[in-house]
Amino acid sequence: MEEELIKTDVLCIGGGIAGLMAAIRAAELGAKVVVIEKGHAQYSGCGRMGNDHFETYIPEVHGPDREAWIEELLRTAKGEILISQNLLRAQFLRAYDIVRLWDSWGIPMKYKGSWEFAGHSFPGRPMTHVKYEGRFQKQILLKQAADRGVEVRNRVMAFELLTEGGQVTGAIGISTREDKIVVCQAKAVMLGTGKCSRLYPGLTPGWMFNDPHGGVQTGDGRAMAFRAGAELQNLEMPQRHIGPKYFTKFGQATWIGVVRDWEGKPAGTFVSKPDRKYGDMICEVNKLAPEQYLKAGKGPLYMDCRGISAEDYAYMLHWTAHEGNISLLDHMRDEGIDLRKHPIEFATYPLRGGGLITANEKAETSLRGLYAAGDEAFGDISAAATFGYIAGENAAAYVGDLPESCFSAAGPLIEQQKQMIDRLRGRTDGPDWEETQIALQQTMLDYAGHTRNESLLLQGLSHLRRIKQKAHAALIARNPHELGRSLEVLNMLDLGELTFIMALDRKETRGLHVRPDYPFTNPTLNQAHIVSRRNNKIHSQWRPY
Amino acid sequence: MPPIIDPNKCIRCGKCVEICTEDVYYGSQAGEVPVITYPKECSHFAGCVHICPVKAVTLRIPLPMLLVYKPAEEVKVT
Repeated sequence: MEEELIKTDVLCIGGGIAGLMAAIRAAELGAKVVVIEKGHAQYSGCGRMGNDHFETYIPEVHGPDREAWIEELLRTAKGEILISQNLLRAQFLRAYDIVRLWDSWGIPMKYKGSWEFAGHSFPGRPMTHVKYEGRFQKQILLKQAADRGVEVRNRVMAFELLTEGGQVTGAIGISTREDKIVVCQAKAVMLGTGKCSRLYPGLTPGWMFNDPHGGVQTGDGRAMAFRAGAELQNLEMPQRHIGPKYFTKFGQATWIGVVRDWEGKPAGTFVSKPDRKYGDMICEVNKLAPEQYLKAGKGPLYMDCRGISAEDYAYMLHWTAHEGNISLLDHMRDEGIDLRKHPIEFATYPLRGGGLITANEKAETSLRGLYAAGDEAFGDISAAATFGYIAGENAAAYVGDLPESCFSAAGPLIEQQKQMIDRLRGRTDGPDWEETQIALQQTMLDYAGHTRNESLLLQGLSHLRRIKQKAHAALIARNPHELGRSLEVLNMLDLGELTFIMALDRKETRGLHVRPDYPFTNPTLNQAHIVSRRNNKIHSQWRPY
Repeated sequence: MPPIIDPNKCIRCGKCVEICTEDVYYGSQAGEVPVITYPKECSHFAGCVHICPVKAVTLRIPLPMLLVYKPAEEVKVT
């Protein structure tokens, strides 16, 4: 198989918001930077078609006391915060700088000349998210990257990190368009690879890629990081979101309406008519509301925009397009759905794999030379942009004094991985990625799903390991595209296995981790649940956030 | 199944093939009307629809993904 070698100072894996911001910052500080992206960087990541909310403190809006604003965020948090508050503080120390930077690059961060705050906030409380016109943000960030000499290589999927002496030295990837191994030699690696969205069945199980993240965020970064020895945390804490049924899209705070039942009774208490400034916070306070209504025999629930003014309707459509949901608008137009007349049913979206790569305020992971930002580490668009930038800054400083990464010991691992790829491509009979994915998803849902206990988790872990073993022995990939999908599912099998192990270790009920055999929340476990691999053994520990 | 390309409008520029992150167009040849090899991997963000310079691409939203909405008029049972 053909082999290509890429040599760089900083390798950014994933060309989403975090990856591009890291690349931009590292390059402007003088590092040679290459971004590898398994899809296409113009349309990859959660911000691919846009975003419209950026969480930030702005002194001229909120007053000089940033700490008070952060305290307000913590006080009115929508759900338990499973990260260090130091990370939030580091984010909001820099987020406003990023806002101004983006505005100067041509991503409009103001609306009609002013800071416009709306959504994600409670009536009567300080506003947290500035509205911005992000529809073309990826193109603009790509141009900024190009202007600084960043090389972007699309259709290259990294699947294994290279390390030497406890230090990251690069990554091995494949081309998803041609049979080719791509070996990357780098002094530092930044993971901006997104969440893991296909671990559990989606809202339309037969259409796996109907996911608000898109279908290709498969936890590649965290799986690679774990195998290379980095710490991950809280993988057993699943997440759920809320949004339109069955066309799954994010953008809960962009809707201007009231969540009501069939009879028109509001589900929450925050608003009683469409409100452009606040939306309906019930979506964020209780994402389980649609499911609870259905289970209680009171469903369905709708996002009801009826009664919206003409100006607010135009305002909502404007921001829906910038939020990246233009396909949703197209669909409503094609189907004759008029939000002024038709309430849209909302659903609680199914379980999604949780957790993240443990990273500190400098976006450093526990592995020297490895950085992580964006959904792979934590947060929303603001966190992705800010910590991406921070990661780039620190990676550039780190590589500044380093000699070229030592690659002497990488040979055997590269050879081993090449043989694995050859086997995947060479087999003609066996399960393909899709069959394997279905087996993984049903195992996750049935054994590490809504209700868990020790027996279920042990049975599920045993079964998942059988699937994993068979996949490694028999998985087929008919072409380079399917090879990429196969490597994704192998990553997800690792993450699924870790989810079971960590769920067994969390002997309590907390959030969506529900264990009737340990029905109470244990306050002493209000810590980060950390897992890492040392000497080929899985090691877990609890550490204060 | 999504997306659909109108061969009469398509100018074979390959923009949709280039930018699709999921690569549903895998296997398309330069200078030819793109093929949709992996329609079920479409994530329905419509990047291809809106980058097409001649509006030759449309998304057909699969039946399981249709939005559910409350009809404006009363639902007749009989």
